[in-house]
Amino acid sequence: MKYRILGCLLLLGIGSPPMTAWRVVGAQHAAPLHMTVTSLRDTSSPSVRSAHDSALHALNRLAYGPRPGEVDRVAAEGVMRWVDRQLAPRKIDDGALAEREHRFPLLRLDRGDLADMYAEVQRERRERKQAANGAADTTVTPREQTARRLAGQFQELAVVRAAVSERQLYEVMVDFWTNHFNVYFAKGADRFLTPDYIEHTIRPNAMGRFEDLLIATAESPAMLFYLDNWESVAPGSVPPAAMRVRARPFFGRRPGSFSFPPRDPAEQDSMRQRALQRAPQGINENYARELLELHTVGVDGGYTQQDVIAVARIFTGWSIKRPQQGGDFEFHDWAHDTGEKQVLGVRFPEGHGRDEGIRLLKMLASLPATMHHVSWKLCQRFVNDDPPDGCVDDAVAAWKRSHGDIREVVRAIVRGPDFWAAPNVRAKVKTPLEFVVSAVRAVAADPDTTPGLAQVVARLGQPLFQHVAPDGYPEMEAAWVNSGALLDRMNAAVALAAGKLPGVTVTGDSLMGAASSPDELIALVDREILGGTMSENTKQVIKRQLADIGDPAQARTLAVGLALGGPEFQRQ
Amino acid sequence: MTISRRLFVKSGSLALFSLGLDPLFLARAAYAVTNRLTVYPSNRPVLVCLFQRGAVDGLNMIVPHGDPFYYSERPRIAVPPSDVVDLDGHFGLHPRLAALKPLWDAKSLAIVHAIGSPNSTRSHFDAQDYMESGTPGVKATPDGWLNRYCQHDREHQDTPFRAVAFGPQLPRILAGSAPALAIDDLQAFGLRAPQPAARDRLTRAFEELYAGSATGLLSSSSQEAFEAVQTLRRVDPTQYQPADGADYPRGKLGKAMLEIAQLIKADVGLQVAFADVTGWDTHVNQGAGEGQLAARLGELGQALAAFTRDIGERMRDVVVLTMSEFGRTIRENGNSGTDHGHATAMLVLGGPVRGGRILGRWPGLDPAQRFEGRDLAVTTDFRDLFAELLARHMGTTGLDPIFPGFTPDPARFPGAISV
Repeated sequence: MKYRILGCLLLLGIGSPPMTAWRVVGAQHAAPLHMTVTSLRDTSSPSVRSAHDSALHALNRLAYGPRPGEVDRVAAEGVMRWVDRQLAPRKIDDGALAEREHRFPLLRLDRGDLADMYAEVQRERRERKQAANGAADTTVTPREQTARRLAGQFQELAVVRAAVSERQLYEVMVDFWTNHFNVYFAKGADRFLTPDYIEHTIRPNAMGRFEDLLIATAESPAMLFYLDNWESVAPGSVPPAAMRVRARPFFGRRPGSFSFPPRDPAEQDSMRQRALQRAPQGINENYARELLELHTVGVDGGYTQQDVIAVARIFTGWSIKRPQQGGDFEFHDWAHDTGEKQVLGVRFPEGHGRDEGIRLLKMLASLPATMHHVSWKLCQRFVNDDPPDGCVDDAVAAWKRSHGDIREVVRAIVRGPDFWAAPNVRAKVKTPLEFVVSAVRAVAADPDTTPGLAQVVARLGQPLFQHVAPDGYPEMEAAWVNSGALLDRMNAAVALAAGKLPGVTVTGDSLMGAASSPDELIALVDREILGGTMSENTKQVIKRQLADIGDPAQARTLAVGLALGGPEFQRQ
Repeated sequence: MTISRRLFVKSGSLALFSLGLDPLFLARAAYAVTNRLTVYPSNRPVLVCLFQRGAVDGLNMIVPHGDPFYYSERPRIAVPPSDVVDLDGHFGLHPRLAALKPLWDAKSLAIVHAIGSPNSTRSHFDAQDYMESGTPGVKATPDGWLNRYCQHDREHQDTPFRAVAFGPQLPRILAGSAPALAIDDLQAFGLRAPQPAARDRLTRAFEELYAGSATGLLSSSSQEAFEAVQTLRRVDPTQYQPADGADYPRGKLGKAMLEIAQLIKADVGLQVAFADVTGWDTHVNQGAGEGQLAARLGELGQALAAFTRDIGERMRDVVVLTMSEFGRTIRENGNSGTDHGHATAMLVLGGPVRGGRILGRWPGLDPAQRFEGRDLAVTTDFRDLFAELLARHMGTTGLDPIFPGFTPDPARFPGAISV
């Protein structure tokens, strides 16, 4: 095990070797050379090329890119010491972010507040519609404006945290789990459940145990609503009388849900009829299937349609309260299927309630297929779109050792040789979120509380919390690199350099200070924005562009814009 | 777990990637556009594919109102007989697709029912993947079948607009070594700057940056982008007015269809167009004649009708195909919705279509005929329809490389295109 680092040391030592050199080393398996170096894992830095390059790589993958000067700071600290610190986020002072978070009123509202507001907006909209006799009414009430502003803040907050927080790896993990346990912000009640989901389900568990995170998502109102489980009931089950009268009105998808009962008894009857028709009458497989396919064992995890049905039956009754009551998780005994079930060959005897759901989640969290599926995704995120087997093996081993401690799994990935291997360095293309946040960090720009940056991320193809399918945003470069998206990245880069990108303030000083010549400017841009990876071609192109520009501010803007929009900065 | 496997075997291909010599890049370099025309002959066949992501309920889109099980299995969500727009006494259109009835009557619309994948997965992601790769059950296929068509038929490989996906991402179906564009907003495509001179200068600068320093997909995609920007300068998409009062629905689909029409009429050489239509995963309250699904179908119907009107005469060269990864359960679920099923229906619309007919063998909804006892069985492999469109509409010969592991056989073609 401990000699693995050596392999990548040798490989990296070659620099940018031609193909043949790789093949030769591969053919020899480099076995005899193992003897010459002792374990590098015990040292504070596994940096295999230079301290600078390792720090740059770590900041590109485990953080949202370096801020000016940060590569040198991390290199001086020792990259593994920095990684260890990042793996204990609570010990990192994050005063700057806390101060920033104060500017987001959204964080002072809880689920109940948001639910109330949402119900009121729905009521107002309905009343207006009635008043207008069904005619189109595009008025936006003050309350609706507030709701929209809060929605914008919610998306912006994600970008600001990624850009500003000192707990960078933690923010990266929050993004990872947000996608792994994706919910869709624009689906009905998820408009007010999603902010709470991120604050109280994802964030507290992002660096904890996988099992806790899995259970937290299963019990989260946002997930129960998103994947329809809140309406999944045992066939033939009947809600208690009190719930029936209200006809389970919910979340605005059902006309008339919050209005008072009509006086006319005949109409009351017909409402009750319709209400009964709408009432859930059986299981819904949606959550059960995605729990297996996406959250835990993966599509090749060996389950059948019968397993999906059994899982759905186990989760019957896992539901939520009405929005007026805060929309909390609620287990409905009356809706639960108490019969015997079999999942993946394991028997769940009859007569159980909510406890069997917890038992199932614990079982799923500890299955080898789950370890492998989730580890594979983590390796894809941190190492390569096509994750090396060894990286996955290391992660799974750490998962077993630590009983699913996410920090230990990530630590194993970072300590493994694949993370540092030359072919994996700059092998990944940034997602739109990573591109925008890393650009903002690179020029030390100051994000505000308007939804500007989140809108830029959306225009580049990644509207946050709005991936409609449960698989979350992809990690593969093919999903993000295309002609239209590249042009949009160039536009965003130029706008940021010119200080015209919405949602962010860039001061002239923070853009490369004052360089006295084009060559000096290019060297500065290369060092601060590209970490010294600027190609000779890029240097020449920028130099030609600067030739006829006398104004230093304009020259800075152009050089920075081209560097941020150019090919080197798209990679991480 | 061994060091040899993990580092040395894998690193060969990874090294290729990091040096920008990945197979995709090399293959695309071979496509460098040479004899570029400015206006392309206007009689090229065009295939427009719309992907209904989320699995459309084929049974409420094209309603088998003559099948007794349809009503008994769907007490809350069946489209009432009086609302169905009857087509042939057994099947009918959902009422919100009524705008397509004149096209059916004019024999420009055919419907293939009970079509789908030979693979039984009920996972959206796998099923979409298979439908786009064109290789059901095989995940390792690197490219999509529309891209393989573009690789195979090089005759029309002379324009950056040959294959265009309308949306922020290039879909799997168009991924591969042949160039394909992703355009989210035709009007905003390109570098933006206050003055044209500044715009041109930025465009040139970035073109040089990417030409000299980019590797892999970044290189090929940027090259395609800059070629397209050049061509678009002639078209001026901001000036477009739909013909004949064509009324596109608001929203992404309407916008995409309008832009497709615009590119077809601008003669930039468009041959393959693709757009996503989302919102079909109706697990809850999908509605019957009205409701959630009805609203989505209304948008689809209006978009197709507007497109046909806008294109006018040019529909003689155009075929529009709708597809969806699978259908939904015959029986409604506990929430007045439907869960993931198997076969669905696809629409084929256009001048070359032998329309006014329901194609494919109808297996019926009788429990004995169902797939796994619950879902509409697949009687037409989707590849048979896709292959027919490529062979008879696009004029492709030698389809085998486009659908590896499958032998397209004209005897199995559903018969959607006039021969």
